[in-house]
Amino acid sequence: MANPSQLQAHKIGAPLMNQIKLKGVPILQQLHLEECLLRTSSHNWCIINQGTNHPTIVMGVSGKPAELLKIESVLCDQIPVVRRFTGGGTVVLDPSTIFVTFICNKDAVAGLQPYPQPILSWTGALYNKVFQGIGDFHLRENDYVFGDRKFGGNAQSITKNRWIHHTSFLWDYEVRNMAYLKLPARAPEYRLARGHLEFICRMKDYMSRSEFISRTIEAIKTHFSLRSAEAESIETSASFAGIQVKPDNKEFYSIGERLNIY
Amino acid sequence: MMIGRRILILQKRSFSSVRRILCPYTSQTPNPNPSPAQASASFRSAGSHSSILHFNAPYIAVNRSFFSSHAVADLPVGGIVDVPLAQTGEGIAECELLKWFVQEGDQIEEFQPICEVQSDKATIEITSRYKGKVAQILYVPGDIVKVGETLLKIVVEEAQVSTHVSENPTPTQEGLKNIKPCDSELTKNDICEVLSTPAVRNLAKQHGVDLNDVKGTGKDGRILKEDVLQYAFQKGSIKDPSASLTSASRRQFLGGEEDNPHPSGEVLWSYEDKTVPLRGFQRKMVKSMSMAAKVPHFHYVDEINCDALVELKSSFQSTNSDPDVKHTFLPTLIKSLSMALSKYPLMNSCFNDELLEVILKGSHNIGIAMATSSGLVVPNIKNVQSLSILEITKELSRLQQLALDNKLNPADICGGTITLSNIGAIGGKFGSPLLNLPEVSIIAIGRIQKVPQFTVDGNIYPASIMTVNIGADHRVLDGATVARFCGEWKQFIEKPELLMLHMK
Repeated sequence: MANPSQLQAHKIGAPLMNQIKLKGVPILQQLHLEECLLRTSSHNWCIINQGTNHPTIVMGVSGKPAELLKIESVLCDQIPVVRRFTGGGTVVLDPSTIFVTFICNKDAVAGLQPYPQPILSWTGALYNKVFQGIGDFHLRENDYVFGDRKFGGNAQSITKNRWIHHTSFLWDYEVRNMAYLKLPARAPEYRLARGHLEFICRMKDYMSRSEFISRTIEAIKTHFSLRSAEAESIETSASFAGIQVKPDNKEFYSIGERLNIY
Repeated sequence: MMIGRRILILQKRSFSSVRRILCPYTSQTPNPNPSPAQASASFRSAGSHSSILHFNAPYIAVNRSFFSSHAVADLPVGGIVDVPLAQTGEGIAECELLKWFVQEGDQIEEFQPICEVQSDKATIEITSRYKGKVAQILYVPGDIVKVGETLLKIVVEEAQVSTHVSENPTPTQEGLKNIKPCDSELTKNDICEVLSTPAVRNLAKQHGVDLNDVKGTGKDGRILKEDVLQYAFQKGSIKDPSASLTSASRRQFLGGEEDNPHPSGEVLWSYEDKTVPLRGFQRKMVKSMSMAAKVPHFHYVDEINCDALVELKSSFQSTNSDPDVKHTFLPTLIKSLSMALSKYPLMNSCFNDELLEVILKGSHNIGIAMATSSGLVVPNIKNVQSLSILEITKELSRLQQLALDNKLNPADICGGTITLSNIGAIGGKFGSPLLNLPEVSIIAIGRIQKVPQFTVDGNIYPASIMTVNIGADHRVLDGATVARFCGEWKQFIEKPELLMLHMK
């Protein structure tokens, strides 16, 4: 199984990370893939998905629709609502959202404690490199902001030996989609009393999509040795969407086999 | 203090078990989604089903733990160990329990994942430090657990290395800081095999009494507080049991011979501050009232002559042949409220402040505020516009019984369009109610009181008067609308025959 680039990586000492680049894959499929890789793989992964195919609302693991969404509008416009396996709040995703996900073994990053705050700091520092000198970027509470406006939301899940940290970046968004969300009961302090549209901003006002992705990959390479996984087999795997996610089901391995991405 | 902590757990148990019976007040309308969405790790719904099976057993088990024969300081020397919520990293004070991976009676290994919690943005798997058997689970999914609180108890095997001692401060008397007694004292009283409560062990420690020397007069030879005090008195450790604490008691706690006695822990404990974490309905009330306080309210007050209502109720009661039905004023008030709402639908609406839209609700789902042992809850009677007064009476009775038993389900609590608060049932002239969002009006009715009224020509007559206070969302409703609505409702109450006029 070892190939020359793998040997090279091990010589240098940087841990290996598999990279998956997707485009327009439905967010539900992406979440299935992420959970599968988190729970059954022993490798490190980075997934970048440029947009989901259809506007979709995604809630955190304990999200309650009645509290977070304007249900009548959602039902009327038939917007799909998904509950993800990580914590955090509610987002409306569409084809102009960019997703970046890290799935790592707990010892993948030397000295990084597998707890929410340290992981948030580490990923925050990584994106600091990406947005160096651009638009006053920082990690504010749990969000990525330019100034005091949020453009990236984060969520995590930490298991016994691994962790996942995924971000949805608002490269662009449609105002009418944001209207499906209620003001959440729990909001970050820096939001103050701002309505949603005064609280968020678009990444496209600061950086092009391709530049963001290439900078992100460069930043990851400072920590990991990146290896590209077979993207085509993931996108075209028709059976993938129909697979139920169960925590201890051997089907996870069959997904991996079909997708050829170990 | 260990005693305080144990009792607190008991109280928490009753709150959380109550909440679970209600099938979270927190999870309201079912997810309108098709099944593939649910597949995306909605482990919580699976978790909450299994949690209902749990609550009965732990509730009983908590009582058992009071009489444990095990070490007070949670040293795993072959006994039950308290496993706290840890492994969350710094800066996290509390988490929501999402699901259990184990249940009572399961054998677990060291480092095996036992549950999943959520803090802010992260879900975290908590693993077990010990190998053993799950003895008791103390929380159910949906509960908020503070970091450091005991999640569950495990029966551990012999001689496991303990890293626990530093996390669980040894029991102390109030007035003393956390003091670790010297090892020999700890060992002597804690590893003994006698039956006694932690409180009694504490007491024994204070008086330097070895429990092995005390004869227990309780059930199964259990050592009671009186037994320890009796033994200590005879031994000469206590001269006067009611003397207060001195600084010398610090030494006494460490087991030295001491002439300065101090009172038992329990007597002092009852005057301490008590922290009550808010759970279930009370917690919900914090949230909903905070949101309601942001809405600009105005209150409209009026008096309604209830003479006709009183007569109507007596008439219903006298012709009532069903022993299960008890007629009160409320059902008539509710029905007439619905009649008035038909004419003023704006009072029965919901306001969307982002889209600046008012949704005039088709159904009159009238909520009735009820005070239960777990707090304020507002179940509603659905479709009052289509119900007769008798049907309303029966439905009200059903909801009241469920509320008393804490068995209301989410369908009963959700979907209300207007709320009636009969604070008069308890007392008072009227209240100044806060809106039950997203509704735009709420009506508080006071007690019907017999007061003197004047006729036009100055004669006095008695009248049954009820004061009402209508709270309204001033972003949507103006004084004129509410005043007219109230006038309409008042008419139906003062002249109930008008209900027949509109009867369909």
